[in-house]
Amino acid sequence: MHYLGVDVGSVSTNIVLLDEEMDVVEKIYLRTKGSPIKAVQDGFKILKANYNDMKIGGVGTTGSGRHIASTLIGADAVKNEITAHAVAALEIDKDVKTIIEIGGQDSKIIILRNGVVSDFGMNTVCAAGTGSFIDRQAERLDIPIEEFGDYALESNTTVRIAGRCAVFAESDMIHKQQLGYNKSDIIRGLCDALVRNYLNNIGKGKEIIPKIFFQGGVAANRGIKKAFENALGYEVFVPEHYNVMGSIGAAIIGRESAEKLGMTKFKGLNLAESKFTSTSFECNDCTNRCEVVKINENNNDIGCFGDRCGKWSHKIAI
Amino acid sequence: MIVGIPKGLLYYKYNPFLQTFFSELGAEVITSEDTNKKILNEGIKYSVDEACLPIKVFHGHVFSLRDKSDIIVIPRIMQVKKREYICPKFCGLPEMIINSIPDMPKTITEPIYAISKRKLYNWAENAGSIITKDKSKIKKAFNRALIEQKGYDSGIKDENYRLNIALVGHPYNIYDDFINMNIVKKLNKLGIGVITEECLSEDLINKEVDDLYKRPFWTFARNSYGFASHISKEKQVNGIIYISSFACGIDSVVVELIKDKIDEFPFMILKIDEHTGEAGLDTRVEAFADMLERSC
Repeated sequence: MHYLGVDVGSVSTNIVLLDEEMDVVEKIYLRTKGSPIKAVQDGFKILKANYNDMKIGGVGTTGSGRHIASTLIGADAVKNEITAHAVAALEIDKDVKTIIEIGGQDSKIIILRNGVVSDFGMNTVCAAGTGSFIDRQAERLDIPIEEFGDYALESNTTVRIAGRCAVFAESDMIHKQQLGYNKSDIIRGLCDALVRNYLNNIGKGKEIIPKIFFQGGVAANRGIKKAFENALGYEVFVPEHYNVMGSIGAAIIGRESAEKLGMTKFKGLNLAESKFTSTSFECNDCTNRCEVVKINENNNDIGCFGDRCGKWSHKIAI
Repeated sequence: MIVGIPKGLLYYKYNPFLQTFFSELGAEVITSEDTNKKILNEGIKYSVDEACLPIKVFHGHVFSLRDKSDIIVIPRIMQVKKREYICPKFCGLPEMIINSIPDMPKTITEPIYAISKRKLYNWAENAGSIITKDKSKIKKAFNRALIEQKGYDSGIKDENYRLNIALVGHPYNIYDDFINMNIVKKLNKLGIGVITEECLSEDLINKEVDDLYKRPFWTFARNSYGFASHISKEKQVNGIIYISSFACGIDSVVVELIKDKIDEFPFMILKIDEHTGEAGLDTRVEAFADMLERSC
């Protein structure tokens, strides 16, 4: 039996396939590019081509697109990212005490004691220092995002960048760049600024003790990992599957739910061939004027989201 | 005469008083609808950009009443407790509105010092004289309004939930379901009961506040602090959720005071602004629920 985890995030959509031992058989990392449905379909195309005959015993979804993903594929569990990340990290190492997770739009800190989440923090309305900001800076400096962190490691000295706000950081970077500082020093300065901002904002008042895991897409950035180690004075571990930890957690939780129920709600891998359309409309039935999204699969409405009263989202049995 | 009462800010706390007072004076009282997208959009359009969300929403409520009312009540609430104040934006609220929303009808903007019956009656005399010259009528309306207000309890006290949280913050963030994205319903759905500060007696709140190194300057900060401090100490709930509007200066202080006091007790801040996408709030609330579930 195999288990599937799907994490539909703001920047990437990740799918993992786990075996009975909860080891990763396959991981697929795709860019969401604003179309969560298409991203999930693309992932399923790859799965179908390679694992068509595989028996799936349970499915979990997570990420900000977890509800839409669950509607598409039929999930046994729909879990928030905090719990999913914590479950995945604990599966790998029972001694984890702190998880630093930086994704596309969110950054989080999860404090674990005795194998359960004892506290967590998430960025508030501001997304400064998360993956999409770093992405944008890499693009602006014309450096492939994969190499961005390595530039920081080449630097011998750091240039101070304001990290409080993405707009301030960007203008500070531009000013420094126009003064002639080299790219690697500026990038190292940015890494330091992001870490400083993270620790002052999300990490404030939290007891950060080892063992520390660094996961989420931004953990690929070796410059940030180094900056965290310098600031904290502890070694920071980046797990092997750092960029799909959310989906690993979702798969584990999906398995638990399916086993409790004695069956899976999974709809199968044929999803790739279905034709999905989404339409949105403003419901005029009351003054809330909710923006309702309707998802249609092969001319059947399969789910609605976005209504406050539940009139639309409850109407269609998923 | 049609008197418009905007359903924003401290409406949720003092509505029975205002409503009864003006009705008893013989005016036809209308209130704006519950906060909705249109009110939010109008509020953001007319309010100064730097204001917090509840102030912007209040602008939207006033705008929605503008063309339906002969006169609009913009309560300039200065004090509700002796030697304490509330957010300074309330003192300037009428000016903010009159200068931001064009073609406003007449307004009632007399300052309200609700620290004693006599002080509050000063307001009633001034505000009432705009509607009627009959002093005995004003007095009668005032007394009726006070009785209505005293019998009113805005608090939430859920029972029969295995897990419970204290919902803390300014009343307009707690009781406006549009602003807070229906948080109470969301928590109930996750199997979590909600308790608010109104369920705690004034004495118990005062007792907690006495331990602070100085008296709190703001009334609502005092309530939030005293409530959070007491309820975490007595373990009457499993966790605390604080709803705070983005850029609120008072919250920035009181949140730190609470955090410092309650130590390891589960605590989460939800920042709200004009977002209508609920995914971010859902994730935080669900994760908090999971955490309480697994550790209790």
